Amino acid sequence: MSISCRIGLLRLADSAPVLVARSMGFFDRHGLDVEPVIVPSWANIADGLVWNGLDGAVMFPPLAIMTALGQRGRPVALRPGLPVSRGGNMIVLRGQAEAQAQWQSGRDKHTAFTNWAQSLGRKPRLGVVHLYSTHYLILTRFLQDHAICRDTETEIVIMPPSSMIQALATGEIDGFCAGPPWGADACLKNLAFVVAGSAQVMPGHLEKILTLRDQWASENPDGAARLYAAVRDAAALCNQPAHAAEITKLLSAPLNAEGLDLPYEALKRIMPGTPDAPDAMLFDTQPRSTRSSCGWMIEDMQREGWLTPTQLGTLSQLGWYND
Amino acid sequence: MKVLLADENSHRAGALARLLEAEATLDVILLDDATSLIDAVRHHMPDIVLVDISRADRDALDSVRALSASGQERPVALFVDEDDESLMEDAFAAGVCSYNVLDTPVKDVKPLLRSAIALYRRFRETNAELLAARKTLSERETIDRAKILFMKQERCKEEDAYRWFRKQAMQQARKIIDVARDYLAHQNRTPSP
Repeated sequence: MSISCRIGLLRLADSAPVLVARSMGFFDRHGLDVEPVIVPSWANIADGLVWNGLDGAVMFPPLAIMTALGQRGRPVALRPGLPVSRGGNMIVLRGQAEAQAQWQSGRDKHTAFTNWAQSLGRKPRLGVVHLYSTHYLILTRFLQDHAICRDTETEIVIMPPSSMIQALATGEIDGFCAGPPWGADACLKNLAFVVAGSAQVMPGHLEKILTLRDQWASENPDGAARLYAAVRDAAALCNQPAHAAEITKLLSAPLNAEGLDLPYEALKRIMPGTPDAPDAMLFDTQPRSTRSSCGWMIEDMQREGWLTPTQLGTLSQLGWYND
Repeated sequence: MKVLLADENSHRAGALARLLEAEATLDVILLDDATSLIDAVRHHMPDIVLVDISRADRDALDSVRALSASGQERPVALFVDEDDESLMEDAFAAGVCSYNVLDTPVKDVKPLLRSAIALYRRFRETNAELLAARKTLSERETIDRAKILFMKQERCKEEDAYRWFRKQAMQQARKIIDVARDYLAHQNRTPSP
């Protein structure tokens, strides 16, 4: 009998390995019956893991960590699981060619940002996908690098990645940091220009992981190994430019046709191996040391005041941290 | 006590409002389409917010306490009753959750959340019935299409076509709908003579 598993996903291009594994029959081959559950926002991923709606999820480490620690109600044992992707998020700001040219010509980015902010006539409202996200931490570092104070000089607005385009178009936000392909989509729609890819701010940073509830893993003794094997195979396939066209088609298919309903042209610009695309996705399931994977995030999270020393102990037991 | 209902399904929101308004102590406000959840919470300052979990803008409510810029005077947080795990699981399974101002007592939130769970479940069941009905309808259409094609190919009458599909289904121990689907798929692959 095959092992069933409900994996939570958002409408993001870096969810691709799970969808590819399903459509190519990798899960079947490993004796798994995986149900990808596409949810509208990150809160739904966290709540699903806590309140028994999901067995695992493709998500970023900070939210997995805060969920594991009980920040969404009760603690739920989650471990670092399988790395899935690196980089791929984009920081974009409102404006067209002229604003972009100004940004690029200015050598001093602090002045460039201040000039851009002044042109808005209000404190810039910047969207991030969740408070406990790599995006929030990366945007914070980007602003710090340019000597901009996040808390006094910008206003942070939380919304799911798939809402960013609409919010930019209606003027609810003036820029955002979000996962693929939404940054590329904003540029294609002439709503915004790129100021940094997340890989420029934090080179090679771990982005998505596949995490599983300990409870599911203990109920299905070799389930995790099988699931990781299937997703590893799918991730390797996603990295091959020869498969890019096929995967782009899959991701842009409607939700009821096993796709993610993502914008096709934007996807084409960020598929792994796309030439002249510094912000293209990169799938990488190779495990690294705990410190090099999540070390910087945990340091930043401590600086934000999200973690107490006792919680660090719990995190080290779950394999997120070692000192 | 002020209760804000945030549900894009206006039919369901209306039903829940009527249910709660029966309680005289409750002041029920419906969120209109044009307002974001966070703006409505700022504006109305409710004690309790009942939210359809699929509303993407509920994530903004999770962060108001942490984001200094939000300027919220009475921040709300996701309601969690750790001592009543089944209530929590039922709520998320039904598709509803509750946020409340920190000083709202748990005993005030629970009955409201329970009413919402019951109502959301009822809507979900009705929806499932509708989907099932729609599925039956589309299955019948598929069988009809297969029958018509068979009649054309074999130059026979409808009863003969139906009998043929029924016989195939019995012999293969499968459902007629599956045989009909296979037949249509096969005919589409085979070029007509």
